[in-house]
Amino acid sequence: MPDSDNESGGPSNAEFSSPREQDRFLPIANVSRIMKKALPANAKISKDAKETVQECVSEFISFITGEASDKCQREKRKTINGDDLLWAMTTLGFEDYVEPLKLYLHKFRELEGEKAATTSASSGPQPPLHRETTPSSSTHNGAGGPVGGYGMYGGAGGGSGMIMMMGQPMYGGSPPAASSGSYPHHQMAMGGKGGAYGYGGGSSSSPSGLGR
Amino acid sequence: MEPNSSIPPPVMGAAVAYPPAAGAAYSAGPYAHAHAALGALYPPPPAPGPPSSHQGGAAAAQLQLFWAEQYREIEATTDFKNHNLPLARIKKIMKADEDVRMIAAEAPVVFARACEMFILELTHRGWAHAEENKRRTLQKSDIAAAVARTEVFDFLVDIVPRDEPRDADPAAAAMGAAAPGIPQHPAAADPTTMGYYYVQPQ
Repeated sequence: MPDSDNESGGPSNAEFSSPREQDRFLPIANVSRIMKKALPANAKISKDAKETVQECVSEFISFITGEASDKCQREKRKTINGDDLLWAMTTLGFEDYVEPLKLYLHKFRELEGEKAATTSASSGPQPPLHRETTPSSSTHNGAGGPVGGYGMYGGAGGGSGMIMMMGQPMYGGSPPAASSGSYPHHQMAMGGKGGAYGYGGGSSSSPSGLGR
Repeated sequence: MEPNSSIPPPVMGAAVAYPPAAGAAYSAGPYAHAHAALGALYPPPPAPGPPSSHQGGAAAAQLQLFWAEQYREIEATTDFKNHNLPLARIKKIMKADEDVRMIAAEAPVVFARACEMFILELTHRGWAHAEENKRRTLQKSDIAAAVARTEVFDFLVDIVPRDEPRDADPAAAAMGAAAPGIPQHPAAADPTTMGYYYVQPQ
């Protein structure tokens, strides 16, 4: 079942990969919203700056993907996974991104494994309902977080002193972690993202279920 | 993992105090506060010293804050269903490469986060250039300057053209960074020369 889901995903994407202009870039509204986070409140962003960053992000994805794809081919593998992307980022000079993303990927896999165990039958592209962070999930992740973080910290310690320094504030920031829960909720309020979520959710559950 | 040498020398060379001054930002938590903290960091220059050390110091401190914030936010993430960027679109862009066959479900999820970091870093570095020119609106030329100044962004050189008149600003900044005195404003600069300025080894 997971195999068939994964295989059917391929052709479907092939159909979608038409050379439409807007499909080559991420939505400018999303890009613009993220850009605003890096700027002071009174800063403005010209439209050509937004469009330039749109193009840069697509190039970033293609750049990393190309390197990861080459690695997979050398190793006679067909599927690009998260670790391949992290390896490619390291190779191409984005070391700073890798440690946070390792933590992110670790938590994602943890959650996927948990979800697979909970719902044995992962049904279709549309999830039953948008569930908020359930107490059990948040508790589990809360417990797992420090452990995972510590593991990453240990690994990073071997690699770079600067990373170790960054590890320190993380502990200080533990208490306000709960307040960040409101952030995902805010994002979920957007209707447009619902469609993307449905598609992404559908494709994400099958392979992880297979893996676990 | 690569040793410390893999880290860009300019950042390490800045020799900024590593414990961030904005410690309160961490205890507060949400991005809104971090945003306010970053806003507070911009208007008052940390030191009226030489332009290069000032820029390096400010940039390094802000970069430090940025990565610490990334770690803290990821640590707090419990919901992987809502992303700031659509996974389907990311997958389409990945698929544009004909050599790419199958993509694991976790790959677009990782990219959603990585692209957010990339956008934040590129915008942040671009804003530094806008501020140097006393502007409050981020322009395309600011993004171009960020690309020109940052070695890891070399792959974007073809995406962001440097033949525009306003791209003279990066050259001016380069001259200022190279010269110990007050930064000059040359009328025009050769793109090749500008490239060499930033690629020169330590």
